[in-house]
Amino acid sequence: MGATGVDQAVGTSLVVFSLVLFTYYTVWVIVLPFVDSDHLLHNYFLPREYSVILPGVAAVILLLCIGGFAAVILWKNSKTKKVI
Amino acid sequence: MTKLLQWLLGVSLLVAVWALVTWDLLDLSLPDTYRDVAWPMPLYLLVSFGCYSLATVGYRVATFNDCEDAALELQQQIKEAKDDLKRKGLKM
Repeated sequence: MGATGVDQAVGTSLVVFSLVLFTYYTVWVIVLPFVDSDHLLHNYFLPREYSVILPGVAAVILLLCIGGFAAVILWKNSKTKKVI
Repeated sequence: MTKLLQWLLGVSLLVAVWALVTWDLLDLSLPDTYRDVAWPMPLYLLVSFGCYSLATVGYRVATFNDCEDAALELQQQIKEAKDDLKRKGLKM
């Protein structure tokens, strides 16, 4: 029996999202420098500085989420146990 | 030579080549486009690895088989265990 409904949808959307992200980032970082600066393709991409800034911001946000999640879990744990 | 040393040598070699191209340490004066592609390489490899990991997780989630029977059997066993422990006095 294959994976059911929501599982399949979530899994497929993850695969599609990562493929789109990989393709966009590859074109941005590797293909664009070899394309003439007056080609229409450049209109679809932000200036190259953002190709470093955006992953940096995403990494910071990810770390904040992980830290926040850990903090919430620890907070809940310390409330249920009685501290003598 | 240990595996660690081998890996460190390989990584240092790659880092050296990348630094050479990015900051023109040997004054080779490569065309600007090559330098433009080289300097974000570490970040690009990191992002690609992240995308690959995400795609692998998504693929395995989508293709993992549900085991209906095993799930039912497990729930039955959990119920039995709970009843048994309640009878023996464990508070749940």
